[in-house]
Amino acid sequence: MKKRGKGMGCMWYPIGFTVMANPSAATVKVNEDGTATLITGTVETGQGSLTVLGQIAAEELGISTDDVHVVSADTDATPMDTGAIASRTTYVTGNAIQLAAEKAKNILFDVAAPMLGVRPDQLEAKDRRIQVKGFPQSCLPIGEVAAHAQNGAGTPALGSASYNPPTVAMDPETGQGKPFSTYVYATQIAEVEVDEETGEVEVLRIAAAHDCGTAINPMLVEGQIQGGISMGVGMAIQEEMLFDDEGRQINPNLTNYIMPTSLDMPDLEVDIVENFDPTGPFGAKGVGEPTAVATSAAICNAIYDAVGARIYNLPATAEKVLAAIKSKDHSDRQKYLPAG
Amino acid sequence: MTDDVKVADKTDSLTDLKETDEDLRLPSVVEPAHFPVETIDTEARHQTPAVGQRATRPDGRLHGLGQTKYIDDITFPNMLFAKMKRAGISSALIKSIDTSEAEAMPGVAAVLTGREIPVNSYGPSYQDQPVLADERVFHAGDPVAAVAAVTEQIAEEACERIKVEYEPLEPVYDPVEAMKDEIRVHPPHSNIYATKRIKKGDLEKGFAEADHIFEGVYSTQMIEHVPLEPHASIAQWDPNGRVTLWSSLGRITLGRADIARTLDMPINKIRIVGTIVGGNFGGKNEITTEPALALLSRKTGRPVKMVYTREEEFIASTTRHPFIMEYKTGVTKDGMITARKVRLVLDGGAYCSWSETTLGKACILSAGPYNIENLLAEAYCMYTNKTMAGAMRGFGAPQVCFAYESQMDEIAHKLGIDPLELRMKNAFHEGSASPTGQVLQSVVVKDSLEKAAERFGWKEDGQ
Repeated sequence: MKKRGKGMGCMWYPIGFTVMANPSAATVKVNEDGTATLITGTVETGQGSLTVLGQIAAEELGISTDDVHVVSADTDATPMDTGAIASRTTYVTGNAIQLAAEKAKNILFDVAAPMLGVRPDQLEAKDRRIQVKGFPQSCLPIGEVAAHAQNGAGTPALGSASYNPPTVAMDPETGQGKPFSTYVYATQIAEVEVDEETGEVEVLRIAAAHDCGTAINPMLVEGQIQGGISMGVGMAIQEEMLFDDEGRQINPNLTNYIMPTSLDMPDLEVDIVENFDPTGPFGAKGVGEPTAVATSAAICNAIYDAVGARIYNLPATAEKVLAAIKSKDHSDRQKYLPAG
Repeated sequence: MTDDVKVADKTDSLTDLKETDEDLRLPSVVEPAHFPVETIDTEARHQTPAVGQRATRPDGRLHGLGQTKYIDDITFPNMLFAKMKRAGISSALIKSIDTSEAEAMPGVAAVLTGREIPVNSYGPSYQDQPVLADERVFHAGDPVAAVAAVTEQIAEEACERIKVEYEPLEPVYDPVEAMKDEIRVHPPHSNIYATKRIKKGDLEKGFAEADHIFEGVYSTQMIEHVPLEPHASIAQWDPNGRVTLWSSLGRITLGRADIARTLDMPINKIRIVGTIVGGNFGGKNEITTEPALALLSRKTGRPVKMVYTREEEFIASTTRHPFIMEYKTGVTKDGMITARKVRLVLDGGAYCSWSETTLGKACILSAGPYNIENLLAEAYCMYTNKTMAGAMRGFGAPQVCFAYESQMDEIAHKLGIDPLELRMKNAFHEGSASPTGQVLQSVVVKDSLEKAAERFGWKEDGQ
């Protein structure tokens, strides 16, 4: 008989390296027509980071995503970046980009101020215009200001900056300290169906609610969550590298190393938890790694809810689940003691 | 069809020849473009403010149309292809490497062994990994020689003709066995190459305050990242002694420093171009074949490409650490956690790679997103003669989350408290102190619990 169950997993996860410096630098150039070029040393590894980083530069300059072209990943030409690791790109590289774009923007303000008869600090960049705060009708197209900055004033609008998340070293004995600048939080809840006769588990659906601070691009955040869950499903019930007695892998191929395909994917219901982190670019934190963290716990807790079998050793293959169903007494692995 | 083809012979007139020529020409209709030339942008890309827009990715369009150029798609004139000979033995001394037969093969341009590498070691924390094993093999996937040839097939055949003489050593595969340090993977160093400890409050007092104590041992498996695009690089040594590397590396700045170290070269003589990466997930966070390819390019004066096979992706790239996790947790009858003791043993495989980071993050996160005043978490990372574990999406967090959330579930069921309710009672709030004593801000654990529960319909069928 097939039985259904539900289970949850809740988690926290830090952004950036543990204590160690992990800086990023960036350069933003505003072109004579008000479009911009962002130069970053990070690498696009498939997650859409270059799009998100372009959006951060665009936001600071008051222009659109499409107005920013992103140049990346050439050690001869792009500034240093710690790279696509530790869920740090949006937060750390993003902060560097916001600071760099702000410097370029300030050049535009200096040039526009006498043109509009105000002080630079009375200006803002919005909707492809440099405008007087509170008096949006008093404005100049950003392209006109950028062209004048370069060809009139002789001060082309560009800026470079770097950012490193602040941390405090951990005490070697007690580990007390501030190892990370910020953390994200998430909950995933799974519904599974377990075949009591075979032990086979089918993950039916997963609801995932993730915090990433401000979602710079909600579509890409959702994509990260969906992708992370697929890795979590593999970890929970399928994937395992196996070795023979002589330390050689016995399944180093996609025929015998089983991982989820689109057919194995449950229905996903993804929510972004509203949040704003004052230390991130426009309130953003990160989302890459945390998406794969809570899935296996949620699925195994759902298996327990369905058939009363607790899995202590991943992955929860059909063989293991069946064995756990057959011996509901698992006192060998799990002890429940009254406090002495 | 052959009857229709006109063949010119000596008796043909100039007109006949011209006609024949016209007939033999390639089709006059130009092949259509491989992709639609009109670009389609979503409105979101053009809107301000930019933040919060569901802006489409320009690279997404290239992926969808099959126009993205990965390293496997990139070719240079006179490019050679490299392959590596894998040890196939998990622990051994290398007595000799005979490359003469491989070098004599037609089509083979160069063979490289570890002794030709200026500084034959690398690694993000400890430089314990050889580019090509020269004295000792630490796991079966270790490369012992590299070949550059005019085709991949010839390079592969040449690898088979390289003769390596080994003196087998006693291996150790089990991390708990490795803790005894009776068989050392990297003698004279201990197998326990990294440790971490988080201590907070008074553990004994915390357990004394508990009405119930839960103990459990949880473990997780070794997992491969399985990116669609395997590790790939092209090296091109130029006549000025600079080397350019097109690489699937996800961290080019630090990769460049690592390559400069192994090649004993100034950093400004090395250029890395990070190509569009077909999936990383932590597996492409360190250099692999790049120094060997650079040296093969220098030896041959030609560009050299190497793309891992799927098998190499499994046996020679990093993996997710298997964990063994002991959890002991004290709770009151109301379900409030009073103390937690955690002990983690990580199987790091043959090299450190990103184990120190994984160990640290796992230890810090091991108590879960809960207010626990009395805590002790200890973590140890072990060398074993297996494929090395390294960075993988979550740096140890998925492993400890499986343990702490499984145990939360056990507590909830034993005490008859709804699992959602139990978590809500203990979860961090704004200003909570983390296990390291850090005051947390922008904390939304409870919001995420409520939102997921609402979306799932957790309360609807009555727990």
